[in-house]
Amino acid sequence: MTRFFYPSLAVVAVTVMSLLPLTLDPQGYEIRILCIAMLFAALGQAWNIVGGLANQISLGHAAYFGIGAYTSTILLRLFSLSPWLGGILGMVLAVLFALLLSVPTVRLKGHYFALATLGAGEAMRVIANSWASVTGGPVGISVPYSRESSLWMMQFPTVLPNYYLFLIALVIICLVFWKIQTGALGFRLRAIKENEQAAEVIGVDTYRAKLIASTVSAAITAFMGTLYAQFQFFFDPDTVFGVATISVKMALIAILGGVGTLLGPLLGAAFIIPMEEFANSYFGASVAGLSQFAYGVILVVIILINPRGLVALIGQIKNRIFSKGGSQ
Amino acid sequence: MQSITTFFQTLIDGVLIGGVYAVISIGLSLVFGVMHIVNFAHAEFLMLGMFIAWFAWAYAGIDPMLGAFIALIITFFIGMGMQRVLIKPIIGAPQVAQIFLTVGLLFAMENGALLLFGADFRSVSTSYQTQALTLFSGESGRILVPLDKLYAFLMALLSGASLWFFLNRTSWGRAMRATSQDPMAAKLMGINTDKMYMIAFGLGVGTTAFGGAVILPYITASPTVGSQFVVLMFTAVVLGGLGSVAGAVVGGIMVGLIQSFSALILPIQLQNLTLFVIFILVLALKPEGLTARRRS
Amino acid sequence: MTAPILQVQNLTRRFGGLVAVNDVSFELDPGEIVGLIGPNGAGKTTLFNVLTGIYPPSAGQILLRGAPSGGLKPHKIAARGMTKTFQNVALFMESSVLDNVVTGGLLKNTLPEARKKARAILERVGLASIADKKAGDLSFPERARVEVARALCTEPDILLLDEVMAALTPAEMEDVITLVRSLRDEGITFVVVEHHMKAVMKLCERLLVLNFGELIADGTPTDIAQNDRVIEAYLGSSFAKKRQHQAPEVLA
Repeated sequence: MTRFFYPSLAVVAVTVMSLLPLTLDPQGYEIRILCIAMLFAALGQAWNIVGGLANQISLGHAAYFGIGAYTSTILLRLFSLSPWLGGILGMVLAVLFALLLSVPTVRLKGHYFALATLGAGEAMRVIANSWASVTGGPVGISVPYSRESSLWMMQFPTVLPNYYLFLIALVIICLVFWKIQTGALGFRLRAIKENEQAAEVIGVDTYRAKLIASTVSAAITAFMGTLYAQFQFFFDPDTVFGVATISVKMALIAILGGVGTLLGPLLGAAFIIPMEEFANSYFGASVAGLSQFAYGVILVVIILINPRGLVALIGQIKNRIFSKGGSQ
Repeated sequence: MQSITTFFQTLIDGVLIGGVYAVISIGLSLVFGVMHIVNFAHAEFLMLGMFIAWFAWAYAGIDPMLGAFIALIITFFIGMGMQRVLIKPIIGAPQVAQIFLTVGLLFAMENGALLLFGADFRSVSTSYQTQALTLFSGESGRILVPLDKLYAFLMALLSGASLWFFLNRTSWGRAMRATSQDPMAAKLMGINTDKMYMIAFGLGVGTTAFGGAVILPYITASPTVGSQFVVLMFTAVVLGGLGSVAGAVVGGIMVGLIQSFSALILPIQLQNLTLFVIFILVLALKPEGLTARRRS
Repeated sequence: MTAPILQVQNLTRRFGGLVAVNDVSFELDPGEIVGLIGPNGAGKTTLFNVLTGIYPPSAGQILLRGAPSGGLKPHKIAARGMTKTFQNVALFMESSVLDNVVTGGLLKNTLPEARKKARAILERVGLASIADKKAGDLSFPERARVEVARALCTEPDILLLDEVMAALTPAEMEDVITLVRSLRDEGITFVVVEHHMKAVMKLCERLLVLNFGELIADGTPTDIAQNDRVIEAYLGSSFAKKRQHQAPEVLA
């Protein structure tokens, strides 16, 4: 049963997610929430490659996200370049940034890695805010809107096509994660996570494994930045390069769901994003800071209850139910 | 450098603000030194200290320099409670849990303050705010020492010296240092390490809150003020060696000097960029300084 | 005469003022089983760590099959055929026994090949029945054997074993000795650090003795047992430091 259980579950889930938007208003609020949830599930999964598998706890992934969003948008504004090409260029730039950042950070672990990546993400935010001639500065930048529908220019009259782009991206990213997790690289990354020195001694090129993981993660994050830009049509440095809005949120989603697991970021996003949207719509924007306050509290509570996240929590509950059922 | 007076003025500004950074960073370093936990939420206690001092000034007319002691006492007890409830369970837990617990605390505190106090900027007015000592006046310009910054610096010196005295000259301080070096051995010697952890965390956040209160005359309080200081604090601490209390003092003054001198040549936003770059480079190039045990 | 597989020339490793390995020179011939003994703190584990690249040498040379390997990163040295087990056991505790061993196999194999190889090795070292257990749940002797299996899966020419027999029963020790001998017959060269002197005497054809980082003797077990410097190292200086518990066995 187990051999076919998860693949069939995945097929069912993708089918449901494909049909679901057909029942919704294509310009409506619900479909937008689903888009954002899939965006953050994908981002959480990208973070999971380095943060989850290799335990390199990055607090600076917003750098890659922002690079993706700005690269495609600036090129679209200047040269009317297709966001697909701009997105690919953004991925290349993000990979270069990841390689550059790896020079000082590849040997760092734990707190030091977290601090250094936090600094790098913040540095990008400062640059985007001050380099106004290119980025538009703190007031933000908008994607030029054309009324025509065009897949090539990633512009659509309704949100429905965006929804399918997010869904396809999410499925691909989950497959990438699954391939890495179950492949040779996954073994190497877990070895690094659990004992880096022993991994080296038995032949794991730890630098190389970390570099591959972080560049793949950076490229994915950057492309999601492009998809986000083409979905929102407007953004500013503090949003796309933000610690709270992107870097920590990506990690939070992976950790909340279950760090290092395929299902983790999906569960995390399915929980966090609707909750955030609900809080925002219920209390309104007048209560500033409420959703982030809730984030903070949820993060603290989940770590105190079970640092392994929802996946482990569900496992615990399942065990408890089964063992009770068995004993009676 | 435009002239020799500009140089000295910049130097004095750097040292004055650096002294305050030092006190703010000492608390962070103390917490890491004793508990080996990087408290990402630490700057929020600076914010808390500023708000306590502001309320003391606004409702009881207490000068922030005195309000700082109230802030120290209140945050000391808040810190002890937080250590007991939140930090204690994660000592020895995986680093991912440690990091995100304090990151969660950061968001909860910053946005909790936003919910409680609103987004308004709050400032105090004191008699000495606009005054300055003139150290030198001549054709090449003047060298001024603003009184608010001087008082903050002196208060910072006072609290730094008191902390040094506590750690080195009292039996509790010695017990705390013993706990930081070898908790098992300390326990065997009859030291209540749980209590030491609570006091260390209380003192760490209290010192930082104290530093926040004394700068209230020249920096306005707001719920997000902590985020301005996060990188400053961490850079100071990392420059001096994470966990070293004496190092945090040196690091704090260096950050103050870097900031004031880079202001001469760079636009304001890029000053922080300089710090980020130095911060990452120091992390990368001086790892031995980072893992070095506290020396003070 | 075959060419030596490992040549260590005037190897020194300092930590600040402490000289942990001091001007050590020796050679290993292919297929030897060599014991490395000495009082606690003599520098045995440090020597292993320098040989496998965990620490770069402060001075001196290491030639692995004639090519210099001193200062290379551990994974490069592993790829050239030398690896070690960890004295304090450094398994991937959250992973299964099989996955631990598979990770070693990835050095020279694709994942499916590494899996096959790992299963064969687990069978051989008698761990097949616990292949799916989490490494962190094992007993200490089991962990030590997983260490050996993981190292073996890297297909080494030289394997440095750091106290893998600690806490084993005499019967289990006998198993390890048989295993090491049969692996040697397949061409692996061993250097063994072990505190249990009877086992060392039985397993090794040649002993290297370290004391305060210096190599004070190199010879057959019988020679070593009669060597004055060795006796002094164990009895003389160690008596004062109450570390003499191995000494009677050296003389036995």
